[in-house]
Amino acid sequence: MLGSVVLAIYALVPTFFKFPQIRQELESQQKPIPWYFDFFPEKGLNLGLDLRGGIYIEMDVMVEEGIATKVDLLAQDLLRDLKKRNIEPADWKRDPASHQLQFTFKSDSDLQTTLELVAKDYKTALVKKGSTLQPQPMANFSLDPEYESLVRKDVVSQAVQAVRNRIDRYGLSEPTVQQQGDTRLIVELPGVKDPERAIKVIQQAGKLEFKLVSGKLESKTLGDLIGNARKENNLPIAYSADDVKKLNEILNDKLPEGTEIAFELTRDSATGQVTQALPYLLEQTSYITGDMLKNAQVQIDPQTSQPYVSLTFSPEGAKNFGELTKAHVKELLAIMLDGNVMSAPQIREPILNGQCKIDLGGNLDRQSQLKEAKDLTLVLQEGALPARLQEATKTVIGPTLGADSIQKSLKAMLIGTLLVVIFMVVYYNLSGLLADAAVLINTLFIFALLAMFQATLTLPGMAGIALTIGMAVDANVLIFERIRDELKAGQQPRAAVEAGYSNAVRAIMDSNLTTIIAGIILYQFGTGPIRGFAVTLMIGLMCNLLTAVTMTKTVYEFFLSRRKIARISI
Amino acid sequence: MRIFKETPNFPFVKNRFLFLILSSLIVGASLFLLFTRGLNYGTDFMGGVKLQYQFPKEVSETEVRNLLANLGLGDASVVRYGNPQERRLVIKVAKPSEESASLSTTVTPELAKAFGEEGLILEQEEIVGPKVGQELRRKGTLAVLFSLFCMLVYVGFRFDFYFSPGAIVALFHDVMVTLGLFALLQLEFNLTILAACLTIVGYSINDTIIVFDRIREHTRLIAPDTVEEIVNTSINETLSRTLITSLSTLFVCIVLYFLGGATIKDFALALIVGVVTGTYSTFSIACPIYLAMYKAAPRFQFLVGKKA
Repeated sequence: MLGSVVLAIYALVPTFFKFPQIRQELESQQKPIPWYFDFFPEKGLNLGLDLRGGIYIEMDVMVEEGIATKVDLLAQDLLRDLKKRNIEPADWKRDPASHQLQFTFKSDSDLQTTLELVAKDYKTALVKKGSTLQPQPMANFSLDPEYESLVRKDVVSQAVQAVRNRIDRYGLSEPTVQQQGDTRLIVELPGVKDPERAIKVIQQAGKLEFKLVSGKLESKTLGDLIGNARKENNLPIAYSADDVKKLNEILNDKLPEGTEIAFELTRDSATGQVTQALPYLLEQTSYITGDMLKNAQVQIDPQTSQPYVSLTFSPEGAKNFGELTKAHVKELLAIMLDGNVMSAPQIREPILNGQCKIDLGGNLDRQSQLKEAKDLTLVLQEGALPARLQEATKTVIGPTLGADSIQKSLKAMLIGTLLVVIFMVVYYNLSGLLADAAVLINTLFIFALLAMFQATLTLPGMAGIALTIGMAVDANVLIFERIRDELKAGQQPRAAVEAGYSNAVRAIMDSNLTTIIAGIILYQFGTGPIRGFAVTLMIGLMCNLLTAVTMTKTVYEFFLSRRKIARISI
Repeated sequence: MRIFKETPNFPFVKNRFLFLILSSLIVGASLFLLFTRGLNYGTDFMGGVKLQYQFPKEVSETEVRNLLANLGLGDASVVRYGNPQERRLVIKVAKPSEESASLSTTVTPELAKAFGEEGLILEQEEIVGPKVGQELRRKGTLAVLFSLFCMLVYVGFRFDFYFSPGAIVALFHDVMVTLGLFALLQLEFNLTILAACLTIVGYSINDTIIVFDRIREHTRLIAPDTVEEIVNTSINETLSRTLITSLSTLFVCIVLYFLGGATIKDFALALIVGVVTGTYSTFSIACPIYLAMYKAAPRFQFLVGKKA
């Protein structure tokens, strides 16, 4: 009995003396950590976001997008294999909704060879959905269902991993990244100071591409084209990925073949609003992508002292980059991130060492430029997300609100508890004191167990504890009332205690077990906050059964038998 | 010290029809309010955007409302949070017209321009997709209903099946009254209040089971002509315990209500109502329904399987 109390106090020492915070501070200053820190558990009690401030985001991984990318890659592979056999399809496309691939061929024999090739080498990935010779030789393929479900799972787990890596590198204490259900991602960042920035780091797709700027249209003609298209179709002047895509679809037949429009955006440093958008006409083919990157680093230009991001390519990327820059000297090369042009410098000479740099928005002050450069390298290093993340819900709680609510509420709770403690002593004398001790130890156990299991204490969790404490007091009241009844009926103290406990225990067991059952169900079927309530409730009630029933009884027995006490103070 | 020198003998059972009428009226009124006014769901259940600011100086809701109207955010509401000295306002937009992620980045600079940048704090920002809110409501309701069902079964096995309907109807009654009050006062029903409702359920079932346990203890004495008396005695025998527990819990809730922060105020109010109804429903609903079940016993014998 005493042992468990000591153990509980031991588990709570780091929480009371703020060990984790001190440890982190010392580590960041590279100071040694005092020896006694190792003696105690490393982590303290986890406070939920509502109690300490931070960000909670749920995001849906847009799996369809990831699948589309995968199908495109498969199509590219297939085209390459066909080229080796001297087959070039007349046309091919991917249906955006069903992800089916449709190839049109120039001859019947081409179709036949393709079907054989797919059946042999693409057996696990693609299945034939039908082929025809009339009016043209054509074949449809779709993803193998088993393969597709594998891709689905991969896309989500890759997204989880990418987000986790980014957050780890961003350097926050105790972040959690979890997958919920099939496609949802939950990110919790307690105590984060600059939420917008953290969210951007998580959500940035991080897709790096290099595309040539096409000289087939004058920039004025391009501007007019865009302006007219917007007017005719009532498009807003906006630059999100969807808006740009729509614009490109509308202008599809007016633009030279194989080209597309992209914008270089200038943003206001305070509000993040787009202040200027420069349109570019680009060749559609992207020559180098983020996969061909080996490293990204923040560097400072010694002449202008402006920070920039320096990129180092993998051998394959370096080769591609060398060939590209050799063939297109004097042309403009657009460096694109997530569909937007970051910059479009002129290729002055062939670059063969596989190095390249990205300049950052010129109108930002140096501090924000440095931050942006740092975040960008982080995203580039950890790789692109396999699909976009769509915010499903987001909660940002400022640290002041958390601190404020916890302090006031804790104070109120303490005063309330104190009132009950005093009342118990007044009403039940020394036995009341015993009950108070039992309730106190019960509370201690709850917090210790929460710390040991690394469960998170939230506001609903506190509600669970409040209910538990109420029921713990009630258990003691029940027992005492029974003992009083027995004493009044003329029983001897020992017999009265014995009978009182045995009568009360049934009711206590039943009411606690019923509530524990409710807790189990709530835990099983509830979501986040309801679960928090259920966890503290279950832990609390189990401790309650222990402390209220066995602990106080042991004390009574000790006094009644060893000390030969003849009268109970109740 | 003790409340009653002798075991009291209040006529709870005799007045049970009075209690039932009173409860039916209150629950009826609650249902009426829930269907007409409806609950003022928080952002976490409805979806939308909620921004909570602390202002550097005294600002009225109308001032902020007028400012927001110029921004064209769509249907925005501005409500004071806590008492006026706290200088806190909550802005809620049910269906943001543009992409929700940028709402605070539009609103914050405008507020800073109008009321001063120094001391303007965005304390909380909550964005909930409509799908998520719906899911939360559905899952929450399912979890509560299923846990009610499991409690019904447990009580049925531990006691017998005459008892469980009364216990569950009593729980339903308590939660309904609380919800009704929230609909009446149009207080925000959010996750914290849902947690309060769960706490009320736990509290109420505890209270009911204590009395049921007493009745079970007297099982041997129960016969069709003594059952009313036994139930009344059981309620009276547990009365001092009920009063002590309920009153001490009530005091803690009242202290929480008056001293706790704004976050916990509504929570405490829900608990105050819940503790009162939870105690009241035991003798006014759970026990009368038990009596009714017992008296209808011959008709339900095949369900119960054993003779009480």
